[in-house]
Amino acid sequence: MIEFKNVSSVYGDGFIALSAIDLTIEDGDFVSIVGPAGAGKSTLLRLLIKELEPSDGEVLVDGVSLANVHRADIPLLRRKIGTVFQDFKLLASKNAYENVAFALEMTGASDDQIAEDVPKVLAIVGLADKMTNFPHQMSGGEKQRLAIARALIHRPRIMLADEPTGNLDLVNSHDVLQLLKKIHSLGTTVIMVTHNRDLVNSLEKRVITMEKGKIVRDQKSGGKYVI
Amino acid sequence: MSKEMMRRIMRSGWTNFKRNSYVSFGTTGVMALVLFVFLGLMTLNVVANSITQSIEDKVDVSVYFKTTTAEEDILKIQKDIEALPAVSYVEYISREQAFEDFKARHAGNALIQESLAELDDNPLQASVNIKAKDSSEYAGIANYLEGTRFRALIEKINFYENEQVIARVQNISKGLRSWGMATTLLLSIIAVLVTFNTVRLTIYTQHQEIEIMRLVGGSNWHIRAPFLVEGVLYGLFASLLALAVFYPALSFISADVADKIPGAELSKYFIIHAPQTVLTVLAIGVILGVVSSTIAIRRFLRI
Repeated sequence: MIEFKNVSSVYGDGFIALSAIDLTIEDGDFVSIVGPAGAGKSTLLRLLIKELEPSDGEVLVDGVSLANVHRADIPLLRRKIGTVFQDFKLLASKNAYENVAFALEMTGASDDQIAEDVPKVLAIVGLADKMTNFPHQMSGGEKQRLAIARALIHRPRIMLADEPTGNLDLVNSHDVLQLLKKIHSLGTTVIMVTHNRDLVNSLEKRVITMEKGKIVRDQKSGGKYVI
Repeated sequence: MSKEMMRRIMRSGWTNFKRNSYVSFGTTGVMALVLFVFLGLMTLNVVANSITQSIEDKVDVSVYFKTTTAEEDILKIQKDIEALPAVSYVEYISREQAFEDFKARHAGNALIQESLAELDDNPLQASVNIKAKDSSEYAGIANYLEGTRFRALIEKINFYENEQVIARVQNISKGLRSWGMATTLLLSIIAVLVTFNTVRLTIYTQHQEIEIMRLVGGSNWHIRAPFLVEGVLYGLFASLLALAVFYPALSFISADVADKIPGAELSKYFIIHAPQTVLTVLAIGVILGVVSSTIAIRRFLRI
C-alpha cells in the first residue's frame, strides 16, 4: 500500500509542485494520474523512488516511511519499485540484454539466473530478437518496451510509469498499455502518469486528476480523462 | 564481495573501455604523453646526476710527504685515513711510482728524459690521493690531517689550493639538483592536472548513464567499480604505450648524449634499471587513472 500523508513539495526556486496531498493507493490498483503540465504528477512519482524528498508530510510504502530509508538503502527501495520514464532512460553503452541484466546484477543474482530470466522478460515485451541491439538501433516503441522489461526484471510489486507513451505513436502506445495491463493482471500495482486521453478512457480504472499541486478529482473506478 | 561480482565488474569495465574506443584511445593517449614527460624528467635527472658525478669525480685531495718519510709511516697514515667514514678510497703513490709516472708522462720529451737520467736521487715526493664519498667532506678530511700525529711528516695538503674549485663544484651540483627537482615537481603537477581533467571529461560524457544506473537501483559501489577498472586500464595501456616509445627513443639519442656528456650512458642506465623504471611508470599510470576516476565520479553519484 502506498500512502501520501499531507505531502507538500516546494522546489528550490519556490515553485510549489505539491501542496498538502493526501492519497492512498491499495495493492493491485491501476491508477492513472492526469492533469496539465506542472500539476505535480511527476513529482508524486519522484517522491516514491526517493529521487526527491518532500518538503512536508510523509510518504509511506507498505507502512514504512521513506524518510526512514537511509541513503545507502535507496537502491533497495528502487529495486522494489519498477520505473518507466518518458525518455526511457536506457544505458546507451549497453545493448538490450545488458540493459536488463544490469538491473538484475545489482541484486546480486547469479549469472545462471540472469541468463535464464533476461531472455524471458525480453520475450514478454516482444524483443526476443533484438537482444544484442543497442538503444540507438531501436525504435521509440522498442526502447519503451525495453525499459518496461528492465523495470519488470525484479518482479516489482509496484510499477511507476511516467508518461510512458509520451514519445510514442498510436500503435506503440497501445502496445505499451497492453503490457502495463498484463503486468497489472499479475498483481502488480501500476501508477501511470499520462496526457493520453484515449489511453485513460480505454482503461476504465481509477483516475486521479491533478491541478496546481492539488488533487481536484479522484474517480475510484471507470474513470475518465476530464479537464 | 563475491568472485562473480568481481568478474562482472572487470568485464563491465573492459567492455566500457572497448566500446568507447575513441574516448578510451584519446584518454590513453593523453596519459601516455604525460607518462612520457615523466620518463623524460627521469632521463634529465639521470643526465644531471651523471654530470655532477663526473665533475665531483674529478675532485680529490692529495697529501704529499717529505722525502725523508719512511714508507711504513705513510702506510700507517693511509690506514688511518681509510678508517674515516667520509673517505671513499685512498691511493698510495710511492716515490718510485711517482718517478715512473713522471717519466712515462714525459716520454716524448728528450730534454726531460736526459735531465732525469742525470739525477742521482729521486726528487719526487710520495703522496696519498684521497677521494671522499661527498665533495663537502674534503674540508673535514683536511682538518683531520692537520690534527693528526703524523702532521710533521706531511709536506703539503693540496686541499687549500683546490678549496675554491671544490666549493664551486658543490654549488653547481646543488644548483643542478635543486633545479632538476623543481622542474620535475612543476611538470609533474601539470601532468597530473592534465590527466585528471581528461579522465573527468571522459566520465562526464557518461554522467547520464550514471544517473540512470542510480535510478534503476544501482548501488554506488556497483556503479563506481567499473569506472575504476576503466581508470586502471587507461593507466595500464598508457604506461605500456609510453614505455614502448621511450625505450626505442632512448637508444636513438643515447649515443649522441654519451658523446656530449661523458659518463651519461642513458641506454645502459635504463636497461639496468628497467624493472624499477617499468614498475614506477606503471604505478604512476595506474594511480593517476584510479585517483582521477574516483574523484571524477564522486560528483555524479549524489542522485
